[in-house]
Amino acid sequence: MAVQPYGVIATFNTAPELYHAAEQVRDAGYRHWDCITPFPVHGLDKAMGLKRSIVPRISLAGGITGFITGMTMIWWTGAVDYPLIVGGKPLFSPMFAFPVSYELTILFTAFATIIGMFLVNGLPRHYHPVLKYDHIVRGMDDTFFIVIEARDPRFNLANTKAMLEKIGGAAVTELEP
Amino acid sequence: MISQATTAPVALPAESGDASAKKALTVGIVGIALTAIGLLVPGAGAKVVATSWLVGLTFWSAMAIGMLMLVMIHHIFDASWSTVIRRQFEHGLASFKWLLVLFIPLLITPWIAHGDLVWPWMNLDGEIHGGHTVGHDPLYLKKAGFLNKWAFVFGTIGFFLLWMWLSARLRKASFSQDSDGDLKWTFMSRKTAAFGIPIGALTLTAAAIYWVKSLEYHWFSTMYGVWFFANCARGALAIGILIMIWLWNRGDYKGVLNTNHFYSIGMLSFAFTVFWAYVTFSQYFLIWNANVPEETFWYNLRELNHDGSTNQWWYVGLVILFGHFVVPFLYLLSYKHKVVHSKIKPAALWILGVILIDVCYNVLPILKDAHGDARPFLTLNLLWVLTSVVGVGGVCVWSYLRSLPTAKLIPIRDPRIGESLTHHE
Repeated sequence: MAVQPYGVIATFNTAPELYHAAEQVRDAGYRHWDCITPFPVHGLDKAMGLKRSIVPRISLAGGITGFITGMTMIWWTGAVDYPLIVGGKPLFSPMFAFPVSYELTILFTAFATIIGMFLVNGLPRHYHPVLKYDHIVRGMDDTFFIVIEARDPRFNLANTKAMLEKIGGAAVTELEP
Repeated sequence: MISQATTAPVALPAESGDASAKKALTVGIVGIALTAIGLLVPGAGAKVVATSWLVGLTFWSAMAIGMLMLVMIHHIFDASWSTVIRRQFEHGLASFKWLLVLFIPLLITPWIAHGDLVWPWMNLDGEIHGGHTVGHDPLYLKKAGFLNKWAFVFGTIGFFLLWMWLSARLRKASFSQDSDGDLKWTFMSRKTAAFGIPIGALTLTAAAIYWVKSLEYHWFSTMYGVWFFANCARGALAIGILIMIWLWNRGDYKGVLNTNHFYSIGMLSFAFTVFWAYVTFSQYFLIWNANVPEETFWYNLRELNHDGSTNQWWYVGLVILFGHFVVPFLYLLSYKHKVVHSKIKPAALWILGVILIDVCYNVLPILKDAHGDARPFLTLNLLWVLTSVVGVGGVCVWSYLRSLPTAKLIPIRDPRIGESLTHHE
């Protein structure tokens, strides 16, 4: 064996076939693998054993940061750095700091969500080893694929190929790295 | 897949409906009777009981109005996911006529005693702060075209008739479509929604002003109708969640609802939590910032006694700030809390509880002691609020349960029903 391949790809003709195959790949304990489908298949995330995205947590962190930024900025500028009485109001009150903090909460949440999404989904990505596979364009048309990557700890070229064939995958092919 | 789901579970009849409807009615009548007994209890008095009755009516009317608005919003957006839930709200709309009946005692109070049993401006000879009477108060005279007994009574009856009319149209269209599947009913509902939403918005605002805001007619807030609407929507969504879980546990909704229906209604609850906070904070903030006595007195009454000491309503205000916004906001952020039945149910009950406290906060401080301070929140008076809420609530639940078996569980021939049954994120 010369070079370790990127992984193994198998072809499926229908969404249910892919769905049930995905369940078996999941149950076999693979972690670094993916499904390629021409359209979203509902419930596939569950069949693949995917957890919910961590993006909401990043959003929450962004929101908390925004709120604290707004409050401390107004407190620091108004009550510490340049104390100035305006309209007979206290130097600092969460009351008038709230609208700004609220806006910054939204702004920072939006930033964190967008940035977090790109960090997590790995986009933009201009190249991926599966693109070298001849039939991959049909993944945008009428064919479904499962790709298991070689970096998966359970990956074993012979066994993984055999398993993909056993669960109904056709044209099981090695992918160049 | 679609046909499978539409044929399987909707056929389940609601056998136990009759018994539980009767139970609800009994609870309602007991609540009403206990409230009536309050009229005779020394120390309570007609004013306290009538004001408590107003709290109960306002609370439950808000729920019905919220359901009406949500059904119309569903139609105007041609929404799909909420189709399976919409029917429950349509059953809830059956309560309007009974709410009007229960409102009658308050509609005759303008002609009992001096007329100011609940609303002080109804007694033109009533003395106000500074020794004037209402009838000589320029702030009243300028508003007298709106704030007079007849406008109040006909207004309230008119609002209810409009709500009943809109509800009747929506219910008829929805129920008729079950049998003939005609698309014209969908278009009829959409038209109802198109003119019904402005009607609903104006009437619920006017109702909030007449019933609650005019308790202190010197005060004004342009946010008031929106504040009321926010509570209406939140209450209706909370009740919707409770009904979904109840019918799920009973078996009716099994195979109809999926995780995403709970997720969607949970998100809507979350959105209206923020909306409520935005509106309520804006109202407070603008008054705090402008700091003019014509407006601040309303909050002062709810924070301080005449001697400057903090009163109980200050703490009630904090309960509303944290309980009505901060806690539900943080709680509903979580996906799990929205979709796991045992986690969203307490949130729905909690929201209903704080809406009631919010209504109390807006109504009850009109009950003042000899110094002109608001009587505390935690007194025996609260008992009559609770009996009123149970009384009116029992009748509303009864009217829902009575309507429930008269139509299919879900609108099976709605053009969006397939999409709704396969609702996904």
